[in-house]
Formats: sequence, structure tokens, C-alpha cells
Amino acid sequence: MTKNKNVIEVEGKVVECLRSAMFTVELENGHQVLAHISGKIRKNYIKIVLEDRVLVELPPYDLTRGRIVFRYRN
Amino acid sequence: MNTKPFPSGLSENAVMITRVADRQWHALDDDLVVGRGHAQHRPDGRLFVSIDAWHDAPFDRLAEAMLAHLPTPLYTVVDEADVELTGRWRRAGFTVRRREWEYVVPADPRVTGLEAVLPPSGVTIVPAGQADESLLRAVDRAIRDEVEATVGWQSMPAEVIPRPEGDTIVAPSTYAVAAAPDRYLGLIRVVRVKRPRIGLVAVRAGEQRRGIARALLAHALGTLHRSGSAAAWTEVHESNHAASALFEGIGARPMSSNLELVR
Repeated sequence: MTKNKNVIEVEGKVVECLRSAMFTVELENGHQVLAHISGKIRKNYIKIVLEDRVLVELPPYDLTRGRIVFRYRN
Repeated sequence: MNTKPFPSGLSENAVMITRVADRQWHALDDDLVVGRGHAQHRPDGRLFVSIDAWHDAPFDRLAEAMLAHLPTPLYTVVDEADVELTGRWRRAGFTVRRREWEYVVPADPRVTGLEAVLPPSGVTIVPAGQADESLLRAVDRAIRDEVEATVGWQSMPAEVIPRPEGDTIVAPSTYAVAAAPDRYLGLIRVVRVKRPRIGLVAVRAGEQRRGIARALLAHALGTLHRSGSAAAWTEVHESNHAASALFEGIGARPMSSNLELVR
């Protein structure tokens, strides 16, 4: 887990693609969060699919939500 | 860099907007970053913006600050299913410019019905990695000029790969082509990073409606199937009925849609 400028970022794996442009991501600690794709990577047409390893940013006040800010190559 | 804060207008817990770099903004609430805005030029020269914020207030303040400082037109991309984000951009004055369908294309010839499809007489398919680069560039240039003379590339699904100035082919080895004895007639580009993506399938204007695109797809999808891929994906502009018919005719299913918004 990394903290940078008050941002909590955690690595995880996409375990479910939901129809509402959301994903279920299982974090390193086993917790699952409901995450959407950040606008910054969406505008670069980066696609997220099942089992992708991703970096998820969590809001400090609601650790059940997340935002996918990076997709790892492998 | 301009670190001068822009007051948000809220009373207590006012969100402060700070421009942290030429094209980056932060929304701060009690020194906590509660939103980020970003602007970036696409290779086609258009300026795209994005805002990531957990709540409406910082999104709106970021949009206000960014729109005040960036030239128009500005573009952004949202998943149509993300109603909340789409609504936020509409509130900032953005309107829908185009819709792209994302298709999942089956690779199995028993599903696509492309098993027996052959190119028309006098045409052969040259597999990816074996195309003559000068002929490949010639057909790519000719097709791009034809498109630009009609609907234009800005109406095509986004081309976001950075390219050298004046060059539209970054990786020649990703193209298979349909070849006549003296020149290439059409091309297909398939990129295989994790999930295979059909980035482009096109045929010279004078050679269309001969089954060349179907033959290119039969070749590319058959190759993917033999290497173990069950499906590829691609994007089609909603007004491109010929492309939609081509893909839906081989069993492709629209899975989602991207909206390009403009202000």
C-alpha cells in the first residue's frame, strides 16, 4: 500500500466486470472494492478486463470504493 | 506552474483549486486532494480533459477552473454506462459528439461462419509480418486520403497511438494485407497485448463490396483462434453501418459504448 499526497493506492486484481462501467477488484489484503476507471486512463483508451492487475486509489473516507488509476502490463 | 488557489465559492470546507502544472489541477479540501484534473493533446491535435473526483463539488470546481484556462474545443471520453460521470460533464456544458460501440468479436470459425471464406479471385492474403513495407505504406496512405476526403478521420474511433510526424504506421508487423499482383488493396491491424484488438480494417474505395474485408477478418480471426484466443475486440462508430453489419454478421456483440463529449 502506498500513500502519496493523502492518496491511498493499493494493488489488486480485477475479479468481476460489471455492466455499469464498474469492476470488482480484489486488493492485496483480500478485501474487495467496487471500482471505476479513472478519467485519465479512460481518455487513453486503456481497457480493463478480467484478471488484470491494477492500481486502485481509495478515498480516505470510504474504503469500499475505488478508482483504477493504472493497469499493469502483466 | 501556477500554485495560486482559486476559491471555490463554498462556505465552510471550501474546495480550493490549484493549478499544479501546465495541464494539471488539484482540488483540495483541508489540504486533502479530493479531485484531480488533467488535459492532454491527442496525436490528432485535439485537447482531451479528464477529471477524477469522488464528489460533485470538487468535480464542478475543477471543471470551472480548467474550462476557464483551456482553449476550446475541449473533448473528453466517458463510458455511456457511467451515468454519474456523463451527467457531471453535461453539467459543465459538454455535449455528445459521437458514440463508439465496443464489440467482442468471436475468433472461432465455427461461430463466425468464416471458415470457408476465401479472398476474391486474383487477391491473396499476406499474413502479418510478411507484408512489403513500401506497399503497405502506400495502401495505408491511399485509404487514409480517401477517408479524409469523405467523412474524415475525426469521425473514426480514436487513434491515440503517438506516431512520428507524418507516419501513420508504427508497427508494420501487426498488419496483414489483401494483395493484388501490383499493389495492396486492403489491410487489417491486430494488436495482441493481452486481449487481441482489431485496430483497423480497411479496403481501398474502388475495391470495396468484393468480400476483401471479410477475407481479411477470416484470416486474422482464424490466426487468433489457432493461437488460442477465443475473441478479439474492436470499436465501431455508431454511424458506420457497413462496419457494424460486417462485425455483427460474424457474431460480434456490442458490449459497451464510449461517448466522446465536446464543449
